[in-house]
Amino acid sequence: MTQVFRIEGGLINRAKPLSFQFNGRAMQGYEGDTLASALLANGQRLVGRSFKYHRPRGIFTAGSEEPNALVQLREGAFQEPNTRATVAELFDGLTARSQNHRGSLEFDLMAVNDLLSPFLTAGFYYKTFMWPKAFWETLYEPVIRAAAGLGRLSMEEDPDKYDKGFLHCDLLVIGAGPAGLSAALLAGRSGARVILADEDFRMGGRLNAETLAIGDQTGADWAASTVAELAAMANVSLMPRTTVYGAYDHGIYGALERRTDHLAHSNGKPRQVLWRIYSKRTVLCAGATERPIAFGNNDRPGVMLAGAVRAYVNRYGAAPGKRVAVFTNNDDGWRTAHDLAAKGIAVAAVIDVREKAGVTAPNGVESFLGCRVVDIKGRKGIKSVILSNGQAILTDCLAVSGGWNPNVHLTCHQRGKPVWREELNAFVPGRDLPVGMVVAGAAKGEMTLGAALKDGADQAAEVLTALGRSVPAGDRPTAEDEPSTGTAFWYVKESSKRAWLDLQNDVTVKDVKLSQQEGFRSVEHLKRYTTLGMATDQGKTANIPALAVMADCTGKTIPETGTTIFRPPYTPVPIGALGGRARGRNFRPTRLTTSHQWAQDQGAVFVEVGPWLRAQWYPKEGETHWRDSVDREVKGTRRSVGICDVTTLGKIDVQGRDAAEFLNRVYANGFAKLAVGRVRYGLMLREDGMVMDDGTTARLGECHYVMTTTTANAVNVFRHLEFCRQCLWPGMDVHIISATEQFAQYAVAGPNARNVLQKIVDPEFDLSNEGFPFMACGEVTVCGGTQARLFRISFSGELAYEVAVPARYGDAMIRALMQAGAEYDAVPYGTEALSVMRIEKGHPVGNELTGQTTARDLGMARMVSKKKDCIGNVLSERDGLNDEDGLALVGFKPVDRSRSLKAGAHFVAKGKPVTTENDEGWMSSVAYSPELGHAIGLGFIRRGAERHGEIVVAADLLRGELTEVEITSAHFIDPEGERLRG
Amino acid sequence: MADIILKAKSPLDGFSRDWPGITLREVTGRALVSVSIPHGGEAALGQKLSQVYGTIIPAVGESTASPVDNAHLLGLARDQFFILFDEGGQAPLAAVSAKLAEVAYLTDQSDSWAMLHISGPNSRAALARICLLDLHPDHFQTGQVARTVMEHLGVIILRDGADSFLLLSARSSAQSFLHAVTVSAENVT
Repeated sequence: MTQVFRIEGGLINRAKPLSFQFNGRAMQGYEGDTLASALLANGQRLVGRSFKYHRPRGIFTAGSEEPNALVQLREGAFQEPNTRATVAELFDGLTARSQNHRGSLEFDLMAVNDLLSPFLTAGFYYKTFMWPKAFWETLYEPVIRAAAGLGRLSMEEDPDKYDKGFLHCDLLVIGAGPAGLSAALLAGRSGARVILADEDFRMGGRLNAETLAIGDQTGADWAASTVAELAAMANVSLMPRTTVYGAYDHGIYGALERRTDHLAHSNGKPRQVLWRIYSKRTVLCAGATERPIAFGNNDRPGVMLAGAVRAYVNRYGAAPGKRVAVFTNNDDGWRTAHDLAAKGIAVAAVIDVREKAGVTAPNGVESFLGCRVVDIKGRKGIKSVILSNGQAILTDCLAVSGGWNPNVHLTCHQRGKPVWREELNAFVPGRDLPVGMVVAGAAKGEMTLGAALKDGADQAAEVLTALGRSVPAGDRPTAEDEPSTGTAFWYVKESSKRAWLDLQNDVTVKDVKLSQQEGFRSVEHLKRYTTLGMATDQGKTANIPALAVMADCTGKTIPETGTTIFRPPYTPVPIGALGGRARGRNFRPTRLTTSHQWAQDQGAVFVEVGPWLRAQWYPKEGETHWRDSVDREVKGTRRSVGICDVTTLGKIDVQGRDAAEFLNRVYANGFAKLAVGRVRYGLMLREDGMVMDDGTTARLGECHYVMTTTTANAVNVFRHLEFCRQCLWPGMDVHIISATEQFAQYAVAGPNARNVLQKIVDPEFDLSNEGFPFMACGEVTVCGGTQARLFRISFSGELAYEVAVPARYGDAMIRALMQAGAEYDAVPYGTEALSVMRIEKGHPVGNELTGQTTARDLGMARMVSKKKDCIGNVLSERDGLNDEDGLALVGFKPVDRSRSLKAGAHFVAKGKPVTTENDEGWMSSVAYSPELGHAIGLGFIRRGAERHGEIVVAADLLRGELTEVEITSAHFIDPEGERLRG
Repeated sequence: MADIILKAKSPLDGFSRDWPGITLREVTGRALVSVSIPHGGEAALGQKLSQVYGTIIPAVGESTASPVDNAHLLGLARDQFFILFDEGGQAPLAAVSAKLAEVAYLTDQSDSWAMLHISGPNSRAALARICLLDLHPDHFQTGQVARTVMEHLGVIILRDGADSFLLLSARSSAQSFLHAVTVSAENVT
């Protein structure tokens, strides 16, 4: 069988034949075909099975509104379900399969559902599968899902690439039909930056499907020459294969460009690109969608929209049948008969519901006025149609036209409501359009070619004027207005067979009536109850006829009944395209410290801290558990010296004449008197009196400070300071800039820290305890002249320094430190050992600074200076935050020293039931202390400061553990701080 | 410890690659210092700038240039601009400090940013995949500068020629940024 339904003419390239497969059968088509047109040319009318009843279905439309002809394209991991054959561009080697049948397409075992249809009406599942409740998830739903449904996923990772991007224009023209081309042409000639986007691979819209003329050219020729003119303009960007799927705020549109879907292989390039288009103005020229008329068995393969029949015949040179009948309520239907006759295809009859039509049938074609089609004979294809007068007409294809609906979708994406136009029997865009949008052509209800061309140019001219551009003079395209009257006629009442409204969801006229009977009065309820208008086509051909049926039942008008809400996307957007390139480890950026390569070489295990990767510990050979490594790192540091990369801490450069006063206000404790060359620990409150962050700030010069923040809060604190200086105290001379990235910073801690640093810091700098005491800071040089900053601060509780060098030297610096430390057995330590040592010292971190704890809770009440004002000072005095029974941060030891502790455990008094009422606080941080030889913890408990020595129960209900713990000081090691001052 | 000399590393190890119509290079040898204008000190700084650099304070979004150290001044905020200049014998901060210390607050940013230069007729198409700003030459002209976000990362972009852009992004995430730019180049060529 080779293209026996191929006819002369069309816009296909017969010099380029293409081979493809449908359900394993080899077929031929041409460049310029869609899969649907090629299937029709090959005589393949049956292309799928319906969603619910598994009824045989064919190709219904020639565009993106297709409800029926959904196929699975490609194979293996590339397999894509639910693609519309009517928009799938044919390429050599394409493989397609039909969907939703068990057994072959011709003999679908699930077609038994169709016989059970009396039971499977709207709401069937809701009414039937109610008991027992437990069966729904385990039995009913899986069975129903297996029986119904569309295509299947490959269950493999999508091997294609996707990308996103941003475009900008003065004027976005959506749709390249007559109105769109006319608008783009005028705008392009004006010099404005224009983007013309169209979902089709060939621009021209209906011009390519009709035989109407523009001047002395055919519509298709005019479209081609206009596209060529536009393509030559540098200020115009043509985007075929691009669906503008959503209208968002402020003139921003979402668009999906299919870049390689028409090729056999993507060749490593993105298959689709999701664009965000920023437009100053938009002309929506989305055209119109033809709607069917519902009658008995109107879903049979061979029933096709009349406009689609013309598209296949005129554009694709593919005949949908050998002997075609037309059923219409408007003049367009008659044009179908003429186009068919012109191509030499037999026209069986024209059936018009109207008593009178202003048009005539082609010579020799019988016409039936005031007549309706009530039924169709034939299952997998049409054999004949039965008319309301009882007559049977032999035919293999029925072209149906129920009029046209303007594509108002994008006009409604911001809750705009369409309005009913009586003379068109259709909704047209309302007044509340998205900002910057105008509508032109058939999308607005200008249904004839002449009107659409004129409206496109007129709207463009208006928009250009609004943008302050001059409207170019010169000829504008014109055409005759073709006959286009019609009448409101939605469904054939005398049909006794099921009449289909929504082909994709198998919703019939009866279902809509039933839903109304059962009390679903709103269209939104109708939609949910019957599934009308759901799934991939979103009811583009179904909604308006169904509304008409509902209006009929309720005795209301269609505008009173209203439409469901239109939401993006206009047509389906693959999840892959929405994800773009943000997949796997590229989902978000990664931040690396300058010692990362070195740490990796040491075999470090990394932990994610926000976007940072930090070395968590450095396993050594023979260590089988992370604790082995961490204990060794802690012991090594406390015994001799350890080195830790602390680059990730936030560093903020603060300068200005008022910097000291600024810090005095943002920190709870006093900073006004901090001397140059000294560092101070600072506690920052939020306005509400809760602790925001802590860190150290060093005074490098009279007007120059560097503040450190916790890693997690670096951005928040910077933002806070920026707010303070710009909004709270704009009169202050304070300037801040992040210096986090500028410096690589290493902590050198342990009794031998000074010895190691003396080998690194150039000898002219005195590091003795007197020359550079605890909490000193200063500019130094290291390794023979490299500028560095040195801070004598300690998080570990040991004699410790932090040395900062410009990041370019960060890699060299860690190597230098390790080399210098070799004679002292210096150990690199990671965040886990860092954490153990800070818990041993009782230093709070994010676990304790939760945003819900106060300075008082943390035992730092005295740090909130009452001698000055600071952010949070006033609200920290609220009664609720100063409860005598309030929480206090203390230490905890397990009574049975062999037991471990769990963060998150809650404290209850011994002997009391573990209930919320008896909750006294919680454990915030735990560690195993190698120094003490048992587990320790930090936590908040009521009146903790007075309860040292008391034993309570740490209850971890999640892990089912109750542990007796003793309340102790939070300072487990060296509480007097002798080591760090040594 | 005289035997250890610290060797500098650039954030992207001197990255360099070409695609049809796109040239992408790491920029090295350029120093960057932020200049904050003291309250009420605009006139004094302006005067000093014209003396030592022969140029003016750049407006936000604009840049000015000076033959001194081949400097570009990038206007980034109402009270802040960056000086981008050729590294010389001096440390970056010292180099600017010698000229402006009395009239501005200076912070060395040379090691804070990875610098990439993208040029060629396809460079704009590549940037359109990650940059939400309108880079049309009528809209973003040579010499204009902007702070923006690309693939979640903060970026400073300077147009230094018809199809030529300097991109600055944080050093710690430089590899992610480079990946974003190279994927874009790959995807459009």
